[in-house]
Amino acid sequence: MSAVAPAAGDAIEEYVVELTGTLHGPTQAKTRLIEEIRDGLADTAEALTHEGLAYADAVRHAVRDFGTPGELAPACQRELTIAQARHTARSVVLTAPLLIACWYTLLGTGAAAGHDGPLQRTAHLLAVCLAGAAGGAALLAAATLAATGALARRLPTPHRLPLVVAWAGTTTSVAMALAALTLAVAALMAANWPLIALACSLAAASHALTAPSARACRRVARLPA
Amino acid sequence: MRTDAVRGHLDGLLLAVLEQGPLHGYAIIAAVQQRSGGVLDLRTGTIYPALNRLERLGLLSSSWESVGERRRRCYALTDAGRGALAGERTAWHEFTTAIGSVLNPSVTPRPAS
Repeated sequence: MSAVAPAAGDAIEEYVVELTGTLHGPTQAKTRLIEEIRDGLADTAEALTHEGLAYADAVRHAVRDFGTPGELAPACQRELTIAQARHTARSVVLTAPLLIACWYTLLGTGAAAGHDGPLQRTAHLLAVCLAGAAGGAALLAAATLAATGALARRLPTPHRLPLVVAWAGTTTSVAMALAALTLAVAALMAANWPLIALACSLAAASHALTAPSARACRRVARLPA
Repeated sequence: MRTDAVRGHLDGLLLAVLEQGPLHGYAIIAAVQQRSGGVLDLRTGTIYPALNRLERLGLLSSSWESVGERRRRCYALTDAGRGALAGERTAWHEFTTAIGSVLNPSVTPRPAS
């Protein structure tokens, strides 16, 4: 990608490697930012060589003018933290309604079968609580997407918002895991188990989607930025 | 004049140099330095997270473009970005007028009491 000479390229790569090790966030956003920074360093070095500097000097100047990785990291990390919060918020917004749909499937199946035992009542109570938590998390996630997008032109983004979103994502992923477990048990006992098994698979897939994103968000939200 | 002095005005500077058309990161830095006569000497790395933030806010759009053997991320002003630039210009004009009135009271007409 870079047209710089190997020796200079090494100095730029050292800079990029140090910065890469410092930053944490969604892979796509981080890769893009690092690529841009690498290209920016290479462009600066190249321009300086056109002004007559020796190649090694040009790279040294480029790196010095760029700011140290330590100087650059907080602003970069702030953007990556918000990118991770938005990623987690999107996964919550997409999966929380699915959780509610899964519970409706379970309750609808139980009602249709005419069951009204203690197990069904417990499942109903659990469903209402978890669906409520998922609904709240989805609303918070949607508000986060707005607050870190166009709305951020007018309102400053609260510093702790990524951490709040991380826990909203964690709540949703736990709710998904509980839903998957309950649906799996229900599928074993129900006559029309294929529909419940399908809902169970969707809940498990949603858990697999939200849990890593929420974990990553909790991690980056604690980093200085 | 280093980054510390420019802080708070970086968004306006970046939007302003993109008003004439899309540019990639290094060209943006070069344009700021050229238009300031070399007075504004930014920590060049600081513009990359700033460009990412302005894109997130919808003030810039970006796309990868091939230049020779290289791929560069080019940024362009959006309609919202043009509006924000107009706002930055108005705020800057009001700020410099107010500061000028204090620093040079003799050449600034005083409001009638």
